[in-house]
Amino acid sequence: MTNTRMEKHSFLYQFESFISKNQKLLLILLAAFLCLLPKGVNNQYFLTVIVKMAVYAMFGLGLNILTGYTGLVSLGHAGFVAIGAYTASLCAVKLGLSFFPSMLLGMVAAGLVGILLGLPTLRLTGTYLSIVTLGFGEIIKMIAMNWSPVTNGTLGVKNIPKPAVFGMKLTIANHGLYYLVIIILVVCTVFCLLLVKSKTGRALQAIKGDELASVMMGINVTYYKILAFVLSACICAAAGALYATLIGYVDPNTFNFDVSTLILSIVILGGMGTIRGMFLGASILIALPEASRFLMVYRFVLYGVILVVMMRFRPQGILGWKSQLPYKLSRQVMERLKMEETEEAGDNG
Amino acid sequence: MIAQQIFNGLALGMGYALIAVGYSLVFGILRLVNFSHGSVYAFGAQMAMVFIGLRFGVIPGLIASMVLTGVLGVAIDKLALEPLRKKKSIPIASLITTIGISNIVTNLLIVAFGSEKRAFPPLFDFGTLQIGKIVVSSTQIGMFVVSLILMLLLVGIVFYTKIGLAMRAAEQNPKAANLMGINVNFVISFTFFLSGISASIAGSLVGSYYQIVYPNMGFMAGLKAFAAAVLGGIGSLPGAIIGGLIVGVSESMAATVLGSTYRDSMAFIILIIVLIVRPNGLFGKKGITKV
Amino acid sequence: MKKGFIRYSLAMMALAGLLSGCAQGNGQSSEGANNTSGAKTEGTSQAGGEGTVKIAVAGPMTGDNSEYGIGFTNAAKLMADQWNAQGGVLGKQIEIVPYDDKNTSEEATTIAQKIVSDGDISGVIGHFSSGVCMTAAPIYQENKIIEISPSASHPDYSKIGNYIFRNNTVISKEGAASVDIAVHDLKKKNIGIISIMTDWGTNTSGIIKDLITGLNDPNVKVVAHEEVMEGSDDYTPAITKLNEAGADVVICCGMYNLVAPVAKQYKNINPDISIVGFSNAYSQQLIQLGGQAVEGVCFPVIFFSESDDTDVKAYVDEYKKVYGNSPSALTSQAYDSVGILLTAMKEAGTTDSEKVRDKLNEITYKGVTGNIKFDEQGDVDKQFNKVTIKDGKFVKMN
Repeated sequence: MTNTRMEKHSFLYQFESFISKNQKLLLILLAAFLCLLPKGVNNQYFLTVIVKMAVYAMFGLGLNILTGYTGLVSLGHAGFVAIGAYTASLCAVKLGLSFFPSMLLGMVAAGLVGILLGLPTLRLTGTYLSIVTLGFGEIIKMIAMNWSPVTNGTLGVKNIPKPAVFGMKLTIANHGLYYLVIIILVVCTVFCLLLVKSKTGRALQAIKGDELASVMMGINVTYYKILAFVLSACICAAAGALYATLIGYVDPNTFNFDVSTLILSIVILGGMGTIRGMFLGASILIALPEASRFLMVYRFVLYGVILVVMMRFRPQGILGWKSQLPYKLSRQVMERLKMEETEEAGDNG
Repeated sequence: MIAQQIFNGLALGMGYALIAVGYSLVFGILRLVNFSHGSVYAFGAQMAMVFIGLRFGVIPGLIASMVLTGVLGVAIDKLALEPLRKKKSIPIASLITTIGISNIVTNLLIVAFGSEKRAFPPLFDFGTLQIGKIVVSSTQIGMFVVSLILMLLLVGIVFYTKIGLAMRAAEQNPKAANLMGINVNFVISFTFFLSGISASIAGSLVGSYYQIVYPNMGFMAGLKAFAAAVLGGIGSLPGAIIGGLIVGVSESMAATVLGSTYRDSMAFIILIIVLIVRPNGLFGKKGITKV
Repeated sequence: MKKGFIRYSLAMMALAGLLSGCAQGNGQSSEGANNTSGAKTEGTSQAGGEGTVKIAVAGPMTGDNSEYGIGFTNAAKLMADQWNAQGGVLGKQIEIVPYDDKNTSEEATTIAQKIVSDGDISGVIGHFSSGVCMTAAPIYQENKIIEISPSASHPDYSKIGNYIFRNNTVISKEGAASVDIAVHDLKKKNIGIISIMTDWGTNTSGIIKDLITGLNDPNVKVVAHEEVMEGSDDYTPAITKLNEAGADVVICCGMYNLVAPVAKQYKNINPDISIVGFSNAYSQQLIQLGGQAVEGVCFPVIFFSESDDTDVKAYVDEYKKVYGNSPSALTSQAYDSVGILLTAMKEAGTTDSEKVRDKLNEITYKGVTGNIKFDEQGDVDKQFNKVTIKDGKFVKMN
């Protein structure tokens, strides 16, 4: 099974093996590239688009924990983004907190709501879960709109301050915001990588594979499902806080159903259950509408066509096949297995 | 005033029910949430406006719009969804595809007609009727009657015709149905045709009720109708009707009691409460797991 | 061995680059910001030396409000064509470059950055709604690019900076005109307000309430205020409430697409109601959508397409000839915005933003939407005409 799959994607497979062989070098090159990028292209528009991609990649990473690894499809993740963005920007504007504590508060708020939303999932499956998350997104929008004393209603939160480090304001123009977003994205990615390799990550993937079997294996499905919701909400909230400070303005319509579907499209297009897929998905879905500005009125027709065509030819997502490779055991485990094998062989001999 | 609002809500709810039926038909057979349905509904309404404007008369105009919208439904299935079924791809790929289609249809409508709201002729303009304190317009009655007839027709097709039998067979087990000599792909296309027709009728009725049509009219209405379909138990026709009526009435009541700004999320609040109590909706069948 | 060496040296180079990049990033970042903005102004002034003068029109070209963005572009192109026919400005042809912001803040910041980065745009006409304008304006201000919005009405918009102008009256002035129609012309006392749930609607309804309290007339009062959602066409619950509160005039804070259905649904319940709107309801589509129901709807407008003024007539005829429909009030303000910008460039003799800005503050421009004279804030003050609908046509009120 796995062999035929690899043959099928022989080019991709070679590409992957090349990457895994030269992992360290490529990482260093990538880091250098990201560091030097603003120096090379001193173009605010270009950097804004890159930062937008990075923020959407974070949204994707957040939803990926829920949809990609745990198998729960959410159509309302804009709700979590909104909670993060609103909490952080309100803390910054009304309470005068600096960026990082505001962002943390946003994550906490989203995490708590994540628990609330996670609870009904104990009983719901499939479409029914998706529609509840869709409703959740709409309800958050309604709260943002009607709770005017706190959220300013339709007027939105204006003049959201840019984050400052040691008294220096980080903006796109001085590249500070770019580096901040990249650093947070890297932290986020590393967290996701560690999570996937951890016991928790294995439990989530088991739940996706077969919920009943996971219960039989002694996995506390309830606990892990809610945990997935909370982690996913926190990452999206952190990205939401960044988004708010990037745009400088949030209002209830910023976080509508289109944003939720865009995040989901990033996850599906990139490939569920892969980390790199999120970067790829975000790059494509953010860059293409930008690159096609000259099409004017046909721009969002093209966006739809991309979704349809991509799904037509790569329904698993671009890197989706990766998530179906056998689970990679860690080096220690492999060594022990080898030792046991040789011991067994020795015993037999 | 409350009685009046309940009645207004029922008329509104009938509109949602008609859209919800389209979701249910497709979901029943494909287990797929067809997010393009809202845009198909807007397409139907726009086409009805165009064809009625061509002065062939109202009825031929409506029929032309119904056929065209039905064909659009079939085209969506043939061009975008059937290839995915053949590949046996993951269900969520189809879901993203329908979101893409919805983008294409809505934006092409905007390119063709502009985003502005346009006038739609009233289809049943015979003045108003006063029953006690309640004022009922002929449009509301017309909407109610046509919706009811349409529902009965659909139930008739699904339960008492050969193609309906094939639809139900394909719904239960597509493979077995295929082995029994049913052309499942044809059945699915027929289902999309039916759902397109019902969307066109819904679009024309709702358009004539408010006398307004615009390309984005299907967005919120589509989401709420989807909520209505799930509320009643997605895949069940009577469920779609009851769900639509519940959503319509609760929305109207919420607008009166809480204020118009709460109306849009009312459908979802009720939906969440119902789902927590009955995880498969009011009339839903158990064992639906796919997305 | 060889491979290992290459790998090693590459890694070292990358590392060196990384370190130097970071060091530079910290040391020069604030300085760098100044440099970039400086370079930008030079860029705009140099644009004068090349082939065309580029003016950006930013607004929603796709999505819900695309009619306005496309209207702005059409009007701007019409004005540019007229100038081009007479040899352009500063001896160069004028090019209108449309940018789509979808009427969202997110897209607006992106395209503002794009306009700034492109460097050859001499001025921006646009952004449609006040909220979107106010997200994009700081970026233009920071990079010294002139923005003239034909539609922003929020009081705070023009305060963002001295490169930020608007060719639309501040909402408080227009609101005063609407209240004046309701209270003095129609002589109504019990005012109901119905407003759309957007930043514009919320803001406007608040201002209307303050204005009515400010009248200090014990007989005139707001009896009810209802907010309605954009995109739901059923306004009967709100209307029923207004009617039960005893409103005899309704001030409708929304565009034509709110006024027409509200008029229709209100007249089903109470045929005697008077409805007062705002200038953004002034559009041919109001009559098309509302039909009989919008008869007698009144509102203040700056631009009146049925006016006897020869300039206005010529403009309306030309617009109808090219685009097939008559221009709305906001579209005409976009038309004049391009006009005043080009005039300022011509008089300044350059496209350098700073000099053009100074000229913009000086000149008085006679446009189809009246005489335009920016005050020190960048706002305009114009005379309102009171217009009503009679027999399916817009007519001036007596």
